[in-house]
Amino acid sequence: MSALEIQNIRKSYGAIETLKGIDIALQSGEFLVLLGSSGCGKSTLLNIIAGLAEATSGDIRIGDRSILGVHPKDRDIAMVFQSYALYPNLSVRRNIGFGLEMRKVPVAERDKAVQEAARLLQIEALLDRKPNQLSGGQRQRVAIGRALVRKPQVFLFDEPLSNLDAKLRLEMRTELKRLHQMLRTTVVYVTHDQIEAMTLATRIAVMKDGRIEQLGTPEEIYNRPATLYVAGFVGAPPMNILDVTVRGGALEVAGSDVAIPLPARYAAIGDGARLSLGIRPEALRLATENVAGLSLPATVEVVELTGPELITTARIGGQKLIACLAPRARISEGENHRFAFDEEALRLFDPKTGKACEVSS
Amino acid sequence: MSGSWMTTRAWLLMLPLLVVMISVIGWPLVDTVRLSFTDAKLVGTQGNFVGFDNYAKMLSGSNFQRTLITTTWFAVISVAAEMVLGVLAALLLNQQFRGRALLRALMILPWALPTVVNATLWRLIYNPEYGALNAALTQIGLLEAYRSWLGEPNTALTALIVADCWKNFPLVALIALAALQAVPRDITAASLVDGAGPINRFRFVILPYLAGPLMVALVLRTIEAFKVFDIIWVMTRGGPANSTRTLSILVYQEAFSFQRAGSGASLALIVTLLVTVLAVAYAALVRKVAGSTA
Ligand SMILES: Nc1ncnc2c1ncn2[C@@H]1O[C@H](COP(=O)(O)OP(=O)(O)OP(=O)(O)O)[C@@H](O)[C@H]1O
Ligand SMILES: [Mg+2]
Repeated sequence: MSALEIQNIRKSYGAIETLKGIDIALQSGEFLVLLGSSGCGKSTLLNIIAGLAEATSGDIRIGDRSILGVHPKDRDIAMVFQSYALYPNLSVRRNIGFGLEMRKVPVAERDKAVQEAARLLQIEALLDRKPNQLSGGQRQRVAIGRALVRKPQVFLFDEPLSNLDAKLRLEMRTELKRLHQMLRTTVVYVTHDQIEAMTLATRIAVMKDGRIEQLGTPEEIYNRPATLYVAGFVGAPPMNILDVTVRGGALEVAGSDVAIPLPARYAAIGDGARLSLGIRPEALRLATENVAGLSLPATVEVVELTGPELITTARIGGQKLIACLAPRARISEGENHRFAFDEEALRLFDPKTGKACEVSS
Repeated sequence: MSGSWMTTRAWLLMLPLLVVMISVIGWPLVDTVRLSFTDAKLVGTQGNFVGFDNYAKMLSGSNFQRTLITTTWFAVISVAAEMVLGVLAALLLNQQFRGRALLRALMILPWALPTVVNATLWRLIYNPEYGALNAALTQIGLLEAYRSWLGEPNTALTALIVADCWKNFPLVALIALAALQAVPRDITAASLVDGAGPINRFRFVILPYLAGPLMVALVLRTIEAFKVFDIIWVMTRGGPANSTRTLSILVYQEAFSFQRAGSGASLALIVTLLVTVLAVAYAALVRKVAGSTA
């Protein structure tokens, strides 16, 4: 039995279909991140789970019951919003306890739950303040506390960290991870920040235009993107995509005379196929003199030192190739270099469908 | 340095306005103060200096006291009713339904009409012979015989209050509706998930955003209602038996009908003072409310 099951959910606003059939089943304790660019329907899906919006068709089940048509308060969910959504004239204490207060939980029990949540979130000292006397990070802690005390089956988060500054965001991210490891409640978390997605999720659903492009573990999404979209969306800088043609068991890079052997796992692909070759910038390294193994020659155009790494933009047959190198790599603009990589790092996509090519084992 | 030329420029820019203000408000005000210490009969005449006689006479007279009570009653009841009606209308018009835009536009109509038109309209409704109110009430059996709503001292003031409410609740509704748009959607959503019913939602989600603007509406409306003149003048002229005579009507009667410009002026200044006190008290209140929900 799944903790949360989303079955073929569709949602239309007038003639425009915002969600085009979403299917996800979550085990209890999973941390699902809905990742996608702005407007792809993440919030819509989350609101449908919360009961704040109605699906046009499809079903949502929590535990073993359908919650379609059930009032949001009876769905056994709690939600945290990007804007914190605290009640402006209630103290932090009452904000956190609000859900319990509305459910007529006795005062003593409520106080205990509020104390406990405040302790977990380290906001005990703030309990008697009003929301407008708190910083953004503190407000978000209160909002999380308000969700925690309810002890729901499923937590829903809609971009909870995106109003925080970079440092605080990092801190709260770790905090959320710690809370999830401790509480093991099922979570659905919306973000368009891929680092948040990679670090927090047990599974990521990459969404595009109301569809799920790929549903998988962070490791799968990163290493084995199912589509060109996912390959381009996850990772910073994103995966390099080069136009190649299969010829005589080799991949010829378009616009150049460079060819690399076709990996054995792609041996089934026929001669003459025009494909997209994907390789992560992090998978590239500067080749040493006597090259053993695979490499691509390219002309360096721009070198940017970010601190931990040296981001090198190079050209190969008119196509762009970005490499994340060690900061001490000896490389400068205008030079020709060979960028080495392992065969496993290569991914092939069909540019017509955007899908990853089948792998034969 | 730059501050001083900024200040000079500011004064220069305000000069035309100041001239106009001084000539249409400042001078008449000064003259009213002067008049209030004289026994002048007609506005614009000199009269003899009589000290505080006019004030003493006015404040101790039973006319003033009765009128003050009538005015306060009129202001409190009509403003309270307008606030309640206005908020209810705003809550309704904030719901999603077909024809909402049309209804929102229509609602503002009573307020947009000139008071004279509105007052005339209500005189027709209250008309003792062919008025719609009599007709409606007798037809549904609530009334045996036609009544003269504006002609009887015990119903005239209430009839006026109803007319004034009808005219002015749209303003409150409009202000409340604007405030409702400012209630963050997320907080409403959070309260739904938290299980707050309509009443708690109103208290904890809507009211904090409504309180400030409503306070402004309350201030505006109370001061206006306290000064009310036009609607009453058109509908009852303060009668019958002075039952709808408010302070402004009394001022008018003293100064122009009874041609006692001196005591009329003193009364006008007393009313001005009362309204100023109201305005200052309210301003303080508004600041407090605004501060607590910011
Ligand atoms: N009430 C509505 N009426 C019409 N269209 C809507 C409504 N709500 C959302 N949409 C549309 O549905 C699409 C998805 O919106 P949604 O808010 O789910 O996006 P999102 O993925 O959460 O984006 P973001 O990252 O910007 O929050 C958008 O194109 C939006 O314009
Ligand atoms: Mg969103």
